[in-house]
Amino acid sequence: MKEPVFSYVPGTSLLHRFDPRIKIAAVMLLGILTFRIENFEGIAALFAFFFALASLSGLPMKMFFRAIKPMMLFITFIFLAQLLFTDGKVLVSYWILQPSLEGLETGLKLAARFILLLLFAALLTASTNPSAITCGIERMLRPLPLRWLGITSFELATMMNISIAFLPLLFERVERTKAAQAARGMDFVKNPFRSVPALAIPLLRGVIRDAEELALAMESRGYQGSRRTSMHELSIQKNDWKALFVLAVFFIFVLFL
Amino acid sequence: MIRLEKVSYSYPDGTPALENINLTIKKGEFVGVIGKNGSGKSTLALQLSGLLKPGTGRVVIRGMDTRDPSRLQGIRKFVGVVFQNPETQFVGRTVEEDLAFGPENLCLPPVEIRRCVDMALAETELEKYRHRSPKTLSGGQGQCAALAGILAMRPECLIFDEVASMLDPESGIAVLETIKKLHKKGKTIVYITHNLEELHDADRILVMEKGKIKIEGDPESVFSDVFLQDLGLPLPSLIELAANLKTHGVIIPWESTTSPQNFAEEICRLFLRT
Repeated sequence: MKEPVFSYVPGTSLLHRFDPRIKIAAVMLLGILTFRIENFEGIAALFAFFFALASLSGLPMKMFFRAIKPMMLFITFIFLAQLLFTDGKVLVSYWILQPSLEGLETGLKLAARFILLLLFAALLTASTNPSAITCGIERMLRPLPLRWLGITSFELATMMNISIAFLPLLFERVERTKAAQAARGMDFVKNPFRSVPALAIPLLRGVIRDAEELALAMESRGYQGSRRTSMHELSIQKNDWKALFVLAVFFIFVLFL
Repeated sequence: MIRLEKVSYSYPDGTPALENINLTIKKGEFVGVIGKNGSGKSTLALQLSGLLKPGTGRVVIRGMDTRDPSRLQGIRKFVGVVFQNPETQFVGRTVEEDLAFGPENLCLPPVEIRRCVDMALAETELEKYRHRSPKTLSGGQGQCAALAGILAMRPECLIFDEVASMLDPESGIAVLETIKKLHKKGKTIVYITHNLEELHDADRILVMEKGKIKIEGDPESVFSDVFLQDLGLPLPSLIELAANLKTHGVIIPWESTTSPQNFAEEICRLFLRT
């Protein structure tokens, strides 16, 4: 079976060995940088940086492009919206459509930014064990005074982990419910308004039952919502500091481009 | 090891689920629980594992009362439950991550967690699926992964609540074989099922109806109890055949009803003798 997009690919590359906190911080910084830069040189530098990191990970390039594929329609829409509705020097005029040079530039930049964000996120998830990401986020959140909100960093991390883990099950349940209702004559195309309760009520009932079963299973495995340890022993090594330094230099370099 | 003393439990709407249950489960025992839907089997499983507190009476697991919240983590270490649907038991995005969930809750150090995960993977022969998403496993493998998730906590007692009911017969047999191996290694097993055939090798069988234990005994005595058929629980085919032959004067020993091969050998032996 084909693994879902944004899934982890085990490996021993340098990128795989970096502390997850460094990788999460790097993706956050690169995300900020992606939306801070205004010129094509900066965008090109970010793409070059991505390809350097990707080759360092030893992972096949096609798996990163698989992460963009589902978003291509959205990216194309953003590009076209910018191209057609930005005022500026008209490139060509057809009917009411007047794509402008400024629109082309803005559209390309915006599309490139979204692609970069997806690529960096895919690089993080492909080279980091999911539980290491959760553990990293938990450690990053631990100093925050979350207790005031009536929640702990452990609960937050578990919630995040379970939400992601249960998404495929939720989609599967939607498909199963749709098939069951269609088998009983429900036409989802002809009766879109009638089909909403027909789908939503059994779906909700099923999801609540799943949640109850999950809660029991978690409780039987000792989950209490309070303190827990992690299989991943996180400790920032020399290489992590070096990576952070390289990132900082790159950040400044791109800002001055 | 696990003791239920006059345990009763009713659902919030007032429907009684268990009535005055007295039961002791000894160390290393294989106890089978059977009954129709709504007979209280699953509620019994939740009581035996401390996941549900009794309405009246008390449940004592290795000296720990399940009503004492400070003992709950100790109880979890000692008793593990595997439920019917493996999909709603997975917490992790990879098998390894899922198996680590229990030991992480027990606050074990990382090295120890890895050791527990490796041990559970080896015991269920799932090593090659370590980095796979549990959702991509087949039904039988998925149930083994759910079992491994409990084994990683190294419990002494395992409760199985209709674990084979959602599986194809072949996968169901494979899961049952894994459970029998665990029993041979000294684990205490409570196996809840609808299928009497799966309980042939149990040390003791409890037959439940309307929240009460109606029949209790070793498989041979339970299978020959006339009340069993009144409860609408079909006998295993070989046992039924042996019972029919008995009415015609042909006695098939209990040991020969364990498999069709043994049964056929016994029939041949009887024919050759005559």
